[in-house]
Amino acid sequence: MRSIRLFLYGIPMTLLVLLVAAFVNASFLSVAKKNEMSIGIIGEPSTLNPIQQADSASGQVAGLMFNGLLKYNQDIEMVGDLATTWDLSQETTFQFGSEEEATKALSLLNVKRASNSRSITTIARDGKNLTLTLSQPGLTDSENIAHILTATGLHPLPFPPLEKGGKERLFKAEPIIRFTLRKDVRWHDGAPFTSADVAFTYHAIMDERVASPRSSDFELVSSLETPDPYSVLVRYKKPFSPALLSWMQSILPSHLLEKVEPAKWSEIYNRHPVGTGPFKFGNWKTNEFIRLIKNPDYFRGSPWLDSVVFRVLPDPLTLQLAFQTKQVDFWAVDPWAVKSFEKDKRFDLFSSAGNMYNYIGWNLRRPMFQDLRVRKALAEAINIPQMIKYIIYGHGVQSNGIFTPKMWFYDPKVQPLPYDPKAAAALLDEAGWKPGPDGIRMKDGKRLSFTLLANNGNEVRRDIATLVQDDLKKIGVEVKVEIYEWSVLLKRFVNKGEFDAIVLGWGLGNDFDQYAIWHSSQTHPEELNFVGYNNPEVDHLLTDLRQEYSRPEIIRLAANLQQRIYENQPYTFLFVPEGTSVMWKNTYRIRRPGSKPGEWIDSPVTMTKAGWDYDMEWFYRPEYPPGAKR
Amino acid sequence: MLGITTSQSETPVSKSSGSRVLRRFRSNPVAIASVVVILIFAFTAGGTFLLSATGHDWPSNPNFTNLELKLLPPSSQHWLGTDNLGRDVLSRMLHGASISLTVGLIAVAVSLGIGMVVGAIAGYFGGIIDQILMRAVDALLCFPTFFLILTVVALLGPSLLNIVIVIGLVSWTGTARLVRSEFLTLRETEYVKGARVLGQNAWHIITRHILPNAAAPILVTAVLGIPDAILSEAGLSFLGFGVQPPQATWGNIIADGKTYLLDAWWLNLFPGLAILIASLSFYLAGDALREAAESRS
Amino acid sequence: MTSFIIRRLALSAVLLFIISIISFFIVTLTPGSPYPWGELNPKISAEVKANFRKKFHLDRPLHEQYALIMRDLFTGNLRSIKDDRPVMSRILERLPATVALNLTSIVISLSFGTLLGVTAARYSGHWQDALSSFIAFLFIALPGFWITYMVVIALVKGFGVPILGTNSYGIEFPNGLASGLDTLWHLLLPATILALGGIASQSRYLRATMIESLREDYIRTARSKGLAEEVVLYKHALRNSIRPIIAGIGMVLPALIGGAVVIETIFAYPAMGRLGYEAVLERDYPTLVALNFVVAALVLLGNLISDLLSAAVDPRVRLE
Repeated sequence: MRSIRLFLYGIPMTLLVLLVAAFVNASFLSVAKKNEMSIGIIGEPSTLNPIQQADSASGQVAGLMFNGLLKYNQDIEMVGDLATTWDLSQETTFQFGSEEEATKALSLLNVKRASNSRSITTIARDGKNLTLTLSQPGLTDSENIAHILTATGLHPLPFPPLEKGGKERLFKAEPIIRFTLRKDVRWHDGAPFTSADVAFTYHAIMDERVASPRSSDFELVSSLETPDPYSVLVRYKKPFSPALLSWMQSILPSHLLEKVEPAKWSEIYNRHPVGTGPFKFGNWKTNEFIRLIKNPDYFRGSPWLDSVVFRVLPDPLTLQLAFQTKQVDFWAVDPWAVKSFEKDKRFDLFSSAGNMYNYIGWNLRRPMFQDLRVRKALAEAINIPQMIKYIIYGHGVQSNGIFTPKMWFYDPKVQPLPYDPKAAAALLDEAGWKPGPDGIRMKDGKRLSFTLLANNGNEVRRDIATLVQDDLKKIGVEVKVEIYEWSVLLKRFVNKGEFDAIVLGWGLGNDFDQYAIWHSSQTHPEELNFVGYNNPEVDHLLTDLRQEYSRPEIIRLAANLQQRIYENQPYTFLFVPEGTSVMWKNTYRIRRPGSKPGEWIDSPVTMTKAGWDYDMEWFYRPEYPPGAKR
Repeated sequence: MLGITTSQSETPVSKSSGSRVLRRFRSNPVAIASVVVILIFAFTAGGTFLLSATGHDWPSNPNFTNLELKLLPPSSQHWLGTDNLGRDVLSRMLHGASISLTVGLIAVAVSLGIGMVVGAIAGYFGGIIDQILMRAVDALLCFPTFFLILTVVALLGPSLLNIVIVIGLVSWTGTARLVRSEFLTLRETEYVKGARVLGQNAWHIITRHILPNAAAPILVTAVLGIPDAILSEAGLSFLGFGVQPPQATWGNIIADGKTYLLDAWWLNLFPGLAILIASLSFYLAGDALREAAESRS
Repeated sequence: MTSFIIRRLALSAVLLFIISIISFFIVTLTPGSPYPWGELNPKISAEVKANFRKKFHLDRPLHEQYALIMRDLFTGNLRSIKDDRPVMSRILERLPATVALNLTSIVISLSFGTLLGVTAARYSGHWQDALSSFIAFLFIALPGFWITYMVVIALVKGFGVPILGTNSYGIEFPNGLASGLDTLWHLLLPATILALGGIASQSRYLRATMIESLREDYIRTARSKGLAEEVVLYKHALRNSIRPIIAGIGMVLPALIGGAVVIETIFAYPAMGRLGYEAVLERDYPTLVALNFVVAALVLLGNLISDLLSAAVDPRVRLE
């Protein structure tokens, strides 16, 4: 009897007491001061192996642990990371019907080279083949040479096409990149970094068993040689200028992975990797945090911070709370909150236009969207400035095409369409869409009504859809909005090209190669030209861009491309949002090496073209000044 | 949380006549209060629906976006403030009321329909059929319902109708169990046995003799199921699988306001309170009903 | 007894397989694919996708995929599509937290619920009854995410107390007691919120069954014999009411695992509910099948145990 009563009242009482005690205990805890940076992430990384990872959380964490051969500097220019120099050249090969023809060609070109040695560095004949080494990769020079040859009656034999169904080639043009590697780099376990690691990384990426998402970047590599431990020679099957970017790829240690089959990597490596970067792996408490500790032997010098921790906080609200209670050091501020942070002197804000733009994709296979006037009208009827003002609180700019302002090949001269609903209405009238009995425009018995899709979980796109619905209603266009889960959206609609219109965004790197999105050959199911855009002139520009290595030429072609596509309005290009991060004032400062040896530049954290978090390895906490530690 | 149903009493109850039940119900002050709240809720919902169907929205059109007025705290112009697209929260809440009520009623109807059929067949025929059906019920209960709902919504698309059907589909098991136990007992009563001897067919017996006597517990289940459905819908909206914009539901308003929670507290407080009060009233009323039906005074 | 157990185990095994088949097909028929990269990624070529599909058997017909997954599940080779780790590791590493959370929640539900229910039954018809009923319904009617946010915001912003995760990060604990209390703190709060619904249903259920049994003849006999009210209450009525509760425990598990998703997300408490939610969103079929299997197995086991317990407690119960 008494025992039952004891349990009945006792257990709840005990629980209450425990709760209160725990609460009291928690309120007296104070966070230990540590020389550590705390970053909040929403999703947990799936793997820390840089050639197998695909989500941004994984990339963020691994980014501090690895290096590539190349990287961007503060001004988004390409500089060497593990490589000290990289030389581009090209081998162009002609084959002839007979050795005499080849010899004639040789002497002819030798003369040419003597008078103009700028582009041709060497010429050699091997049997019926003539091989030239050019100082610049690309097709133009080689095509000129081919003309010279044919003009004098010499006819090189064509080579078979590179792909099935491709064209025959008059010559083989094989770009070569020669990397010279740093000699002072060590892996986190002390082993030396050599060209063998680069070779291994390349082969691993191309290995089917690894299933690396990066393999398409290296498809055009025909061979990779390592003539000595600090040189790498990469040969490509044809000119492909985006290839250089692919060498920002993180390099893996061959001595740890070469002899292990990829299926075992997730056990022995992927969750505690070894890299060359400023931070090395510390520990990973699944779904709670990943801790990296400093690499004192980093080739650029030991970081000032002792450690960096990534805390997994899956709910955006709690992430915000964690920032406000100083449990994480930065927070990516939502646009609506920027103002209140700006006014608050306790915070530092860093804003920059992102590399992403939002758009509405019109399915060009639908008859109603095939008329350019209709697309233009829709674009002019959507109040984009208002969207920018109210959805992202003014933190963004109207998009004027496929490139964004931070890209070095961006053309600011392309004029964005104005918000002009009257002109839009006039255009629709002109195109034959006249208002019907219920206010919705009609033509040939069909109403101008369509379904606009967006994915759930993205408030900005959802708000865009709602505003577009409103805006278009005002000029007599009926829009039904449907929101689906991301995977469903893709599988059911996008991948099959079966939709009317869709609100999406492209997040791009500094890559002028937009072949996959705009080329007319990429309109099959699951490919990225899902609106079905087909413009032969644009097709040419896209392929030309891929083969162009000269910077001024790239800028010219890119501007042309941007202009053409914008004129065609296959999308209504909406806006480029600005990203803002906030930090409690003076949490960090930067001390980075100056241009002279032994020189150090001390500054507060500032915004650079490459972001405010560029070179996090040089961040330090004012309570732990660098001088004392080192 | 998604639909943690109150456990139903599985023991059959004694039957009191309808009028006596009503009398007991009326003498319970809590019951009266909750019914009053429910009536207010129903009239608001119905009234709003009618008004907007005839084009008179009060106080304003819930879908009217006015970005200049976004995220305003409660004021004399907007009694409950505005949301992130400048829409009046009060108007959206009133419309949300009609949606919530619809969700509650239809989901319960679906759940009741399936549950009654399954429970009746299992309880009446017994034996192997009963075993199979009950094992099926057990099997269904083994699935975390949340994943089921997620999957089905993803498959069928997130329209109001689909969501309601799905909620009904995962919540019929309680009703089925209840109906089955009712039938098991009632099957053995004198007049049912007599009816069978007389040769009346199963359908006739079920509908004429058994069901009317099982009416009270079934009604109680129905009333108690409504707030479960409302809470489920709110939870689904919160996770992003609710109805489409621009339709407003209470769960929707909270979900949309989630990002601004630390500053725009009104987007969370009012819909939350509304859900709480509405659900609470239904629970209390349903419980009072059960009390009235079961008591032996 | 043993034949009963054997029969039940056999039946459970059959059920388990049927459940796994159904859950597999539901999940794979849902539109969406388990690609870990953003699908609209210009850098991913069709070959990469094809290779990925081959690696995880996604290019085979559905029944083959099911067979392969089942085979891998039982040989311990089943790997998650998300990070290529053995699925069992992913489940097991979350098991302690899940068990802690759910067990604590059940304990809280049972203890507070029983107290509330007994009080209501004892003082049936009086203010204590009304109050306890009101509290119970209040708990059920509270939208979970709403109250969770309120609590978290109040704690963090209002009191400045850390609450996220399984323990407070970055703290150096002066002693073992402080560290233990900290872990307890991070566990108790989510468990309490999770338990609210359980407290309510437990108290309602107990109240109903106790009132039922309090009307039985033997109670009247006991009372007329002059036994103290408390003896009557606890020794007889309560004991009889425990049975259905024991019978119902097995069913509680799937609801708790699924229903905890929101709480786990907001409190950043890593348990299996969140694992399942993420797996659904990512279409991580192996993890989903394994998870469903484990949960179903636990439920069936729980049912068996509670049936056995019922039989042990009450000789009137016959195991058919």
